[in-house]
Amino acid sequence: MSSMSFRKLGRIFDPAAHALPAGCLQFAQAPQALVLEDRIRVYFSTRAVDREGGKLRSHVAFVDLTRDLSEVIGVCREPVIALGGLGAFDEHGIFPMSVVRVGDEVYGYTCGWSRRVSVSVETAIGLAVSRDGGASFQRIGEGPVLAASLHEPCLVGDGFVRIIGGRFHMWYIFGTGWRRYAPDAEPDRTYKIGHATSEDGIQWVKEEARQIIDDRLGPEESQALPTVIDIAGRFHMFFCYRQSFDFRRNSARGYRIGHACSDDLEEWHRDDENPRLAGTPGEWDSDMLCYPNAVECDGRVYLLYNGNEFGRHGFGAAVLEEGPAR
Amino acid sequence: MFRWKKLGKVFDPKQAADRAWLQEFAQAPCALLFEDFVRVYFSCRPAPDARGQYVSRSAFVDLEREDPLVVRRVAEEPILPLGGLGEFDEFGTYPVSVIRDGAEIRAYYAGWTRCESVPFNVAIGAAVSRDGGTSFTRIGNGPVLPYTPDEPFVLSGPKIRRFNGEWQLFYIAGRKWKMVDGRPEPVYKIRMATSADGIRWTKLNEDLIESRIEEDEAQASPDVFEAGGKYHMFFAYRYSAGFRGRERGYRIGYASSTNLTDWVRDDSKAGIDVSAQGWDAEMVSYPHVFDLDGRTYMAYLGDQVGRHGFGLAVLSGALE
Repeated sequence: MSSMSFRKLGRIFDPAAHALPAGCLQFAQAPQALVLEDRIRVYFSTRAVDREGGKLRSHVAFVDLTRDLSEVIGVCREPVIALGGLGAFDEHGIFPMSVVRVGDEVYGYTCGWSRRVSVSVETAIGLAVSRDGGASFQRIGEGPVLAASLHEPCLVGDGFVRIIGGRFHMWYIFGTGWRRYAPDAEPDRTYKIGHATSEDGIQWVKEEARQIIDDRLGPEESQALPTVIDIAGRFHMFFCYRQSFDFRRNSARGYRIGHACSDDLEEWHRDDENPRLAGTPGEWDSDMLCYPNAVECDGRVYLLYNGNEFGRHGFGAAVLEEGPAR
Repeated sequence: MFRWKKLGKVFDPKQAADRAWLQEFAQAPCALLFEDFVRVYFSCRPAPDARGQYVSRSAFVDLEREDPLVVRRVAEEPILPLGGLGEFDEFGTYPVSVIRDGAEIRAYYAGWTRCESVPFNVAIGAAVSRDGGTSFTRIGNGPVLPYTPDEPFVLSGPKIRRFNGEWQLFYIAGRKWKMVDGRPEPVYKIRMATSADGIRWTKLNEDLIESRIEEDEAQASPDVFEAGGKYHMFFAYRYSAGFRGRERGYRIGYASSTNLTDWVRDDSKAGIDVSAQGWDAEMVSYPHVFDLDGRTYMAYLGDQVGRHGFGLAVLSGALE
């Protein structure tokens, strides 16, 4: 296999430099690109503070960028989808939302958040459809299309969907459980990347708790936000991974970008080093790299991703180049 | 109209109050026949915690087969553990429905978790017993029936059946949370799913029973029984608001079907209602019909949805 490397383009969107919808002030998390005729639209999740209680809710917005990602054209004025109603799986936030074209429509796979009492949150994956080219999305039902099941007990989320050979494939994460790592600590969760397939993008068949990407950090590695792209006939997956506790402020245990490749979408070979995306000391991604999204445009493959503090300060990009690894 | 003769209350949780986990309630009875006794599974609660919140446990009481008004034995321990941290059944297992599967007994139960904006969510799990129904082990640590676009929350009230070589699961699915006097109350409707193995389910994705008393009527305990060449469903229904008293509380409804999916509701045939006085004068709910040595019985709950136990009625004649 030829070696690949990233050339970093730096941060391409700083949420603090733009007016955000829904009173959101910071965060542009989990960028997800949709290539339009004259621009690249990048959906992201941004956060508003609850009037009561002060907790955060994620809303989905987008920013349009030029097709080389060098300039911001504009940010949407309203969230592209309302949050779910009372008691719904997506009542307390949508983060992330991943998009895929299906005929004339755009399907948005949402990761909905709802708050719990003994643990902080439960998540599930919903489907919302856009018939206006991706400006707004309407959910197909109040409930999720992919949720906890017999051997995936919690935290199904981060769905990324592509249609390959006429079949819908979803890569997503499922929780393996919650654990308190110290008696007085809040519970932390661990999740792994799984795979499901579908004929219509609505009814899915899971592989049911088959972890498709090997752990690098051991059983307490948490893997998140897979993105899959076909590069020269081979499938490449990027994702992020971290330790399951003490990962928020301890850079050595925080998110990094992982990589795997596959020829058949069944077996994945993990290889985080080729290509490797590293943080730049002193820069916006010095301590953390997370939430990757791969997109091809005008013959180039870009990787969008978040840096420090889970994307509080926006997202950046790197362009993939073939050649000898340095 | 069917004619049910009430036999009175059979089991009151006070009878077993030396068990800390069995202080109040004996809800959602479900019978399983043994050679010389009838085991009735039910759900119960320990005393509430300091904040007044309950968990639900499930257990059983064995009744004499010759005279099911006589209690022979009460379970020494709950039949199922509560789920672990963050799991769907961390705060309760209620109700339970059981069925024999070869030498094993399979249980389907509703697991309860606690939420921030609404008080709870519920999902249906599966467990298996290899010791004759004394204890059950979860088949997985997640629910066997996932939430879906049209069944977004509160999947509960499972009733497991096997007709025609297939598995059927009758259950309820939450339609909405309705604010009633500042408190969220769930509205739920009767649904069903089918399966070849009891593990992988295909939802019918339709309401089985049309709502009668109001659009937001809550329906529960869809208990299906085959007799006289067709299927009979007894269930419970109530108003969406003010349902904790006599006027708008649970009553028992009835529907019939020849194919398990198309049901004709006719509550006037149910033949069982609240009593003028006594333990079931305010509400009757959670019906469960079973045959025993040539007679047809209904186990059901009385006031406060079984806080003080369950009773039995016996059918005069046959279901047809």
